[in-house]
Order: sequence, then structure tokens, then C-alpha cells
Amino acid sequence: MAIFRLHLPFLDEVKVKGVKTAVKNKVDDVVTRITTGMNPTDVRMLLRDDPVGRPNPRLKPHTESFWFHIKPTYYNQLMDGFYPTFRLGWLSTYFFVFEIVTGIYLMIFYTPSPVVAYENMRNILSNVPFGDLMRDLHKLGAEAMVAVVALHMLRTFVTGSYKKPRQFTWLTGIILLGVTLFLSFSGYLLPWDQLSLWAVTIGASMVEAFPPQIVGTTLNLIVRGAPEFGAGGLLRFYLLHVVLLPAVGVIALSVHYYKVVIHGHSLPPEAEAVGEDTAKRIPMEQRVYFMPKIITRELFYVTGLTGLMILLTALIYNAPPLEAHADSLLTPLHITSPWYFLWLQGLLKIGDKVLWGVIIPTGLIGMILLLPYFEVGPSRRYGARRIGLSAAAMSVAALAVLSFMGSPWYKVTSSPDQEAVAALAPQTHPGPLREAPWDQLAFGTYRARQWDAAPTPALQALLQLFDEELIKAVGPEQRDAEAIMIVEDWQTDLKKITLRVLWTNPDGSPYEFSQSVYLHRDSEYGG
Amino acid sequence: MKGSIVLGTLALLGLMGALLFVTINEVDRMRTAEAAYAARAVETGALEFESRCRSCHGPQGKGTPLAPALNTAALFDGSRLAAAGYAGTVDDFVRGTISAGRPVPSAGTNYPQRMPTWGERFGGPLRDDQVDALVSFVMNWEDRATAEATAAPELPAGEAVGTDITQTLPEGDAGRGQTLAEGPLGCAACHTLSTVGPAWAGEGATPGIGARAAARLDEPGYGGAATTAEQYLLESVVETNTYLVAGFEANIMPGTFGARLTPQDAAHLIAYMLTFN
Repeated sequence: MAIFRLHLPFLDEVKVKGVKTAVKNKVDDVVTRITTGMNPTDVRMLLRDDPVGRPNPRLKPHTESFWFHIKPTYYNQLMDGFYPTFRLGWLSTYFFVFEIVTGIYLMIFYTPSPVVAYENMRNILSNVPFGDLMRDLHKLGAEAMVAVVALHMLRTFVTGSYKKPRQFTWLTGIILLGVTLFLSFSGYLLPWDQLSLWAVTIGASMVEAFPPQIVGTTLNLIVRGAPEFGAGGLLRFYLLHVVLLPAVGVIALSVHYYKVVIHGHSLPPEAEAVGEDTAKRIPMEQRVYFMPKIITRELFYVTGLTGLMILLTALIYNAPPLEAHADSLLTPLHITSPWYFLWLQGLLKIGDKVLWGVIIPTGLIGMILLLPYFEVGPSRRYGARRIGLSAAAMSVAALAVLSFMGSPWYKVTSSPDQEAVAALAPQTHPGPLREAPWDQLAFGTYRARQWDAAPTPALQALLQLFDEELIKAVGPEQRDAEAIMIVEDWQTDLKKITLRVLWTNPDGSPYEFSQSVYLHRDSEYGG
Repeated sequence: MKGSIVLGTLALLGLMGALLFVTINEVDRMRTAEAAYAARAVETGALEFESRCRSCHGPQGKGTPLAPALNTAALFDGSRLAAAGYAGTVDDFVRGTISAGRPVPSAGTNYPQRMPTWGERFGGPLRDDQVDALVSFVMNWEDRATAEATAAPELPAGEAVGTDITQTLPEGDAGRGQTLAEGPLGCAACHTLSTVGPAWAGEGATPGIGARAAARLDEPGYGGAATTAEQYLLESVVETNTYLVAGFEANIMPGTFGARLTPQDAAHLIAYMLTFN
């Protein structure tokens, strides 16, 4: 008696029908299973875009396969062009997946602890194959995602697509915008260098301002894990970044997408009568089937876009270089939050932290979130929504102005000596001195005012910049200010560059500020 | 449809090409990046050294009366490790000393203070990466310190001061003598407190080395050949075992100064010692 009996039906088939027919039938069967309902002939006809008979086998995957059942079977011809979607929603989804893939690669080499996080980053950038590429892709993808998601929201507002019956779709979209922003923001801290620590500190300081004080203090403790960022804060931000926010994102994205499919893509405002929603009633002659047209195009987008992103990072884009190790005792000059939060930093500069940093942003976000529930005008036509569109235009302009106000160019005062030195050797990025060709930094003492006497072009350019920045920083009343640069041979392959600013105080006493920068032959700040 | 398929295929080829392009350069990129981070560690170490170490070890690590030289061949050729009885590598020695400090003095040294702990886990202010950066910076002295030692051999017989204490020395300058004593010659390392060698400066009722030299000649126990204070000091420097001050043993003071000093340097040194009264 056999304990175990092997039975292959395929062999019976071969016995009955012969090898050739049996193999052909088997292949048909396997292809049909994989495509959930299309045999090889159907696939071939699909690829050729041959006319399709009834019942349409290309609809089968939409009912039977998980991945295709969430895609609409056909689209309205009006939605097939670039306008009115600009593909922004699709792009948002693409970048969400793109960030997950590149993020998982980075996760393999990263430990969220202040003891090793920075060392891990250096390892990723120098000792992990494709580590630098993945970090650049992840960063570029994140910035692109913020921009794309924000533009998607703007587009939805402009075409009035948030109106009935899509109010809840809008609400989940705003949640997704928040998820995107906070994903970017929480990821900012993880490299654990000076830039990440201080940029995130600016944002997190708003939490502390939340009134009353006991609430602010408690919230701050919850967010940072301690009064200041440290082991607890880094771990919390990491968990936010890789667990909580992605989970909220996946759920909100699923609901958002489901709602889009249920209600249909909202048509261009001028395509339907006021107050009507005809997105789900697509006349036969206006249908564009997902298979084959949309699916081939989306596959093309994915490959083309991914290739483009890789080329961009390989040739042009570089994520900000790793700064010095995070140090909570050393605040760098001119630290800014990430560009998509500059408007908040601008708001904070206007005045009271509680009013401008907490109450107004919270109010604005709440208003945007609930917009479709109180803005209930029936018309989606541009001409009928002059107030709404003007408000949108003004908001965009206000964001731009506030972002400028958030930058260091607006209302930031520090001492002119530090300004002039920081122009050459900034504390938040490499800057002109570190990027200058090392060999051209000839030993000697140079006066910035006599920059044209310097022996090498790089030195001349640096000294000229030093001179200009000093004149700009001290203003007309301090004309005797002098900038000096000293280049010394310090060690094997190591030069010491001392930047010195001297002037006479109004009371006649001499003033001196000096900062040294050490530069190694191989440090490669230039690229 | 044909167009779409061609476009899609081209996009796929483009994607693979882009990946291939990155792959080809990847090994070189990793090597450059690794060297760059090692170089930046030296830069960071240099800044840390400037703010935390230079006041005792000197701006160029050449040592001061407060702490030994680091920019010296002795650290890299194993002699300092041997003196400390340390069995590990120089790199570990430097890292260990910076992180954990020195609870007891090494044999033959007499610095007023011990090296404090710098590493965070030993109670100091520096994170591991900062200690590592400092180690990179100190280790980067190796080439030059070693080259300096081999490039500066003992002076040829005619140019060295030798051991004849009756010779006439040129005029000495006390200031330059001080530079020599606290710098390259390292006298100050042992002659600051009286633990290793007699302190030059006066202590309590004991006068300084200048005054002691003159008084020494008349002491009953003095067995040397000097007839003046200058000769006595020169004798002590170049003929180190001729006369031993009570309480100190033979051979602690190196016997090589006669071959290392020029007559002019010896004169500077003596002029400096005579200023301690």
C-alpha cells in the first residue's frame, strides 16, 4: 500500500490527447489563470488592439483579479487627455509606492538610535551598493510627492471636483496631504545631522506653543520623547515615518481611491450641466477601455518615470550632503525648515507664537478639511466661482510670500562678522570655501580688499566674495572693517583656513572675530 | 498600439540603461565617498583638537609643560606604547586615552595633571564619533612626525656641543632657551615638578636652578669638574651621570643632549636656566 500517491492530471491528458495538444491546453490554462480570464489569443488580440467581441474577455480581470478590480473598466474620453487631471492623482500614488520601495531599501541599513544613526547614514552613503542612489531617489521622490500632492489639491479645487458627491473624497485627500507633509517632515530627522535636528526642531517648537502651557508642554514631551530631541525623539519620529504615517496613508489612500472609482472621475466643469454629475454615465462612444489603452500607458509611465528619476539622481540631483553630527548644544546660523514648511516659519515671524503658529494654521487646516461641507454652491463652472478661484489665487500668492518671509533673507538679524564668514563657510551646507579646489588654496595671508592680488583664481573669487559680503553686512557706517583669510599647512593633506573680521568699535576699541575651517584634500565637498 | 508598445519597450531599455550606468560607477563612487568621509573626520577632529586639546598639547600637538607631544615619532614608532606597557595598536591607545583619560602617570613623565576623560561613556563631553574624529586627526600626524624624526639625525661631531664643559659658548638668549626647553627639547616635561627631575623653578625655601647651580660648586658632596655655574649647568645637560642630585637616580636624564645640541642652543638653554633664581 502506497503511503503517498502522486497523481499528475497532466500526464493523463498527454496519454489521451498526445503531447502537443496537452501542452497547448496547459499553456492556455496557465495564461488564463494568470490573467484571470484571458487566454493567449485574447492577450494577443489585446496587444494588437484588435476589435473585441462579446462577451468582452478584457473585462474579466476587472471582476476576478484583486489588482484590476480596483481599476475602472473604462474611462470617459474627456478624461483621457492631459486636462483636467494633469495625471496628478496618479503621480501621487506613483510616488507613494516609489517612496515605500526606496524607503525599505534604506531601512535595511538604518537603526533609529542617536548612537549609530549618523554612522549608518555615512555607511549608506559610502559603503552600501546603491545606497547613495536610493537615498537621493527617496529624497527627490519625497520632494516631488509634496509638490504633486499639493498641486493635485489645487487642481481639485480649481475644477470644483470637491463638490457633491465628492465631499468625502476631498476630506480623505486633505488627510493624505497631511500624511505626505508629515512623512517628509518626520523623515527629515532621521539622518541625525545638524540640518535634520534643527530643521525639525523649528517645526516641533510649534507644538510647545499650544495653549495652555500644560498642554503644550505635555504635547512637546509626547512628540520629542523628552524636553529636547534625543534617543526618544528619534525613535518616535522613525516609528511615525515607517509605521504610523504609512499605515494611515495606505488606509486613507484606499478610501480615497475607492471613492474615486465609486463616483467616477469628475468631468471637466464645462462638460456637464450645472448641478449635474454625469461621471458614471459614460456613453458607449465616449468610453476608453482600461485594457489595452490605459494599462499600456500606465506601464509606460511607471518605467519611463522611474528611469527618469534614476537618470536625474545619477546626473543632476544630489540630496543635501550629510552635515556634522546632530548637536543639541550648537545651533547653526540660518537654519530653515524644509521648503514646504517655510510658510509656517514665515507665519511664526509675524508675531505671537500661539496665534500665528497654532491657532491660525489649525483654523486654516480645519477650514480646508471641511470646505466641501460649507461651500455648497452648485456650479462647478469657472465663471460662476469667481470668489472661490480668487481665494485660491490669493492663497497661492500668500503661501509664496510667507515662504519668502520664512527664509533667512527676511528679518533675520545676526552680527555682520558672522554673516560675512558664514557666506564663505556656512554652517548648514558646504558653501564656496569648502567647495573650492583644494590645490588652489595657496598658503599665505590675504586681505579680502586686495583680492585681485591673490595667486590663484579660486582664492581671488573667495576673497572677492568675502569682501563683498563684509561690505554688505557691516553697512556704510563701518567702512574700516577688514576681512582677512589665512591659509596654513596644518597636517598631511590638511589645510587650516582662518577667516578673520576686524574693525574698530564706535568707542574706539578694536574688535575681532575669527573662525577656522580645516580642509582635507580628499573631503570632496565639491561633488 | 504599436506606438505604445515601442514607447514602453524604449522606456524599459532606458530604465535598464540608467541602472547600468549607476552600477558601472558604483564601486568607484563608494571608494571616493569612503575616502571623503575619512577626510572629513580629520577635519572635524582638527576642530575638536583646536577647541579641547591645544591648550595642553600645543596648537600643533608638539607638547607643552602640561602635556606630552602627540605630533612626534615616539607615539607612532611604538616607544611610547612600550613605555606605557600597552599591548594594543597606536590607534587603540590614542582612542582609549582620549575616551577614558589617564588615571595614573606613565613611567618617566611628570605632568602636573593627568589626562581627563573625554568620552561620553566615561563621563566626558565627547560622543563616540567625535572621539573617532580626534583619533583620525592625531593619527594623521604619523607621516610628518616620522619623517621629521628620520630627517633630523644627531648633529655631526663638529657642530654638536659635545661633552667638554670648559669650552667657551656663544652669547645665549633666555627667551629662545625657554622656547627650546618647552618645545622640541621637552625639558619642561620633567623639570616642572620635582617628581622625575629637579624642578627648575624655586619651590618654597629651595631657590631656582640658576641660584642652585652657583651654590652647588661649594657643596662638599659635589664631585664634578665645573668651576662656574654655567659649566655646572652644561655638565648636567651633557654629562648627566657625573653628579647626581640627592634623591634622583642615574640614567633618568637622557645622555644624548651633547650630541643633539649646538653650542648656540646650549647657550640659550643655560641662559634660560640662569633666570630661575
